[in-house]
Amino acid sequence: MTGDRRRDRTADGTATPQGRGELRDRPRRTRSTHTHTRTRTRTRTRETVLRPHPLLSLRLHRRSALVALALFGLTAAAMAASACLGRTLVPPDGAWRALWHGGTPYDLVVTELRVPRIVLGALVGAALGLAGALVQTVTRNPLASPDVIGVGHGAAAATVLALATGVTDSPGALPAVSVAGGLGAAALVHALAWRRGMQAGRFVLIGVGIGVALSAVVQLYLADSELDAAEQMKLWLTGSLDGRGWEQALPLAVVLAVCLPALVWAGWAARPLGLGDETAAGLGVRVDRTRLVLTVLGVVLAATATGAAGPIGFVALTAPQLARRLACTPHLPLLCSALTGAVVLVTADLAARTLLPPLEIPVGALTALVGGPYLLWLLGRGPRQT
Amino acid sequence: MRRLLAWPAAAALLALAVLLSLAIGTRPVAPDVALNALLHGGSSPDALVVRSLRVPRTLVGLTAGAALGLAGAALQAVTRNPLADPGVLGLSQGAAAGVVLALALGAGYGFEGTVWYAFAGAVAAACLVYGIASRGRGGATPVKLALAGTALSAMAAGATTVVLTSSSATLDRFRFWQVGTVGGRDAGTVVRMLPFLLAGGVLVLACARGLDALALGDDTARALGHRVRTVRAAAALGATLLVASAVAAAGPIAFVGLAVPHAVRRLVRGVGYRAVLPLSAVLGAVLLLVADVAGRVVRPPSEVPAGVMTALVGVPVLVVLVRRKGAVS
Repeated sequence: MTGDRRRDRTADGTATPQGRGELRDRPRRTRSTHTHTRTRTRTRTRETVLRPHPLLSLRLHRRSALVALALFGLTAAAMAASACLGRTLVPPDGAWRALWHGGTPYDLVVTELRVPRIVLGALVGAALGLAGALVQTVTRNPLASPDVIGVGHGAAAATVLALATGVTDSPGALPAVSVAGGLGAAALVHALAWRRGMQAGRFVLIGVGIGVALSAVVQLYLADSELDAAEQMKLWLTGSLDGRGWEQALPLAVVLAVCLPALVWAGWAARPLGLGDETAAGLGVRVDRTRLVLTVLGVVLAATATGAAGPIGFVALTAPQLARRLACTPHLPLLCSALTGAVVLVTADLAARTLLPPLEIPVGALTALVGGPYLLWLLGRGPRQT
Repeated sequence: MRRLLAWPAAAALLALAVLLSLAIGTRPVAPDVALNALLHGGSSPDALVVRSLRVPRTLVGLTAGAALGLAGAALQAVTRNPLADPGVLGLSQGAAAGVVLALALGAGYGFEGTVWYAFAGAVAAACLVYGIASRGRGGATPVKLALAGTALSAMAAGATTVVLTSSSATLDRFRFWQVGTVGGRDAGTVVRMLPFLLAGGVLVLACARGLDALALGDDTARALGHRVRTVRAAAALGATLLVASAVAAAGPIAFVGLAVPHAVRRLVRGVGYRAVLPLSAVLGAVLLLVADVAGRVVRPPSEVPAGVMTALVGVPVLVVLVRRKGAVS
């Protein structure tokens, strides 16, 4: 494997971050078209090109690789902390032995109560982070996220309807139902917002409205409190990892694994979209088709995550933007978004369990408390919004 | 001519809605029996149901609906934004968070114990949403206002949930109030709500001329001799008072304030606020009463809160408005 360092020349102040990414993609053209107009103000190496085989070359954004490694470590640390802390304090070595060998007094707490929900939290966080990154890439709008455009509400409404009407009572079928609901809601929002083209503001507003209507539908069924399923639904609707575990984690893990090849493709295909539709089309990308596939992928991930843990807001909104700022990439980095989502959700769940000792706050409320101000800040930030 | 006809039509609708609200429910009462019970009393079971249960409920629906309709019209005028609504702008959830805080602190139960907290919450939410949305490029555009309102609503709802999980007594009191319902209130609530309602209503209606001028733009309004800031502040204050009293009485009921003023504008074919504001109040009351009645019929043994029904009615209106040309720029 040989490392080939490439010099990255940055813009003279006018190029957008996307523009810089584009220049990096095509250094040869950059040189030929820009050398005579551009003064070299700043030079820095940012990417390593790996050539494991003469026919194959891979670009590696070094900072985002490092950040991904760090986030991986952080996720592991958060999971370990979450396994040890709580009402029963478990020493780290005790937790380790309980997990792998058993026969310790902490077996029940660690392997039965904590580990399943930690794993579920990490998976849900990763799925939400990925979904947010995909949807935000497609809409080119940091305010769009699966929960803002009604996917979470759609999944919730479908699940509640399925439980209430008795179409399904097996927990195994619920993820499928919630995915169908999420896709349906996204399609509805898309159809209603389409009017001679798509406009980001209209899309988001209609998504918010449809979300409210769908949550009203949910309330409609919850009002029938004599229903046996009502209690089950209320529990589900709080958006909590409490009492959830392998049963919900398994379908989500399967969906993530199935989506993995598509995600690898998405990581490569999503980048040109950030340049704008015309430029991307000019580069030979089938814009509409790529956008459709990315959106469906994002919605499926978000809806599955919602089906597993209930509606947990704001993770999908914040995680990709955080990841982008950490990794300093022009596009939204998928792997880093997933890891950031996992860290955020595992930490939020730990906080939800331990902040008010005898009680447990639904983790969705906690993420809303942290994510709401972030969205407000994003709105008030000035020139770059919407 | 249309404007002259609109008033009798609105009054007839209101009378019909009141009659429906008195007559329909788990125990149906014939309209003439209901009227008779209302006017002359009596001791038959039907009369008792009407006088002790349905009359207070109808009165709360009337006042809260009128307050929300009026507040919605005023907010749309103040922000010059067709999407403004106490629910969309986050005022209702802000007021709700204030009420939950009041309940959790044990500051007081019932209307007068909570209304000041609701008012504080609504004012804080209004300032925050408007302040944040008007920063940055383009000022307070519809999209930014709505998103800031949504973010604030989510935040307030999160805070509410945290408080409720930590205190089960508060949860019990809050559970049915939260979604917005007009049932289960006594007539005293209406009486205590009236001063706030009157103050807010007078404040808003007194600004009607100024709001008309404001629709032409700040500069034109100033040239016409209006104090733009005073008009805006007074109308916003009045609307906040109305929202706070409605929320303290009936919970956060969304979309009444959004849908009604638009219907009224279409009805009178004009945007003059001297006609739109009072008619919005009347039709707001009609909408909330009808929503409440529909909530009693939809799932017979139990009741669907009025707030749920108004959301189901209001969202299609929102979608149509957003799709209209030039609504989102």
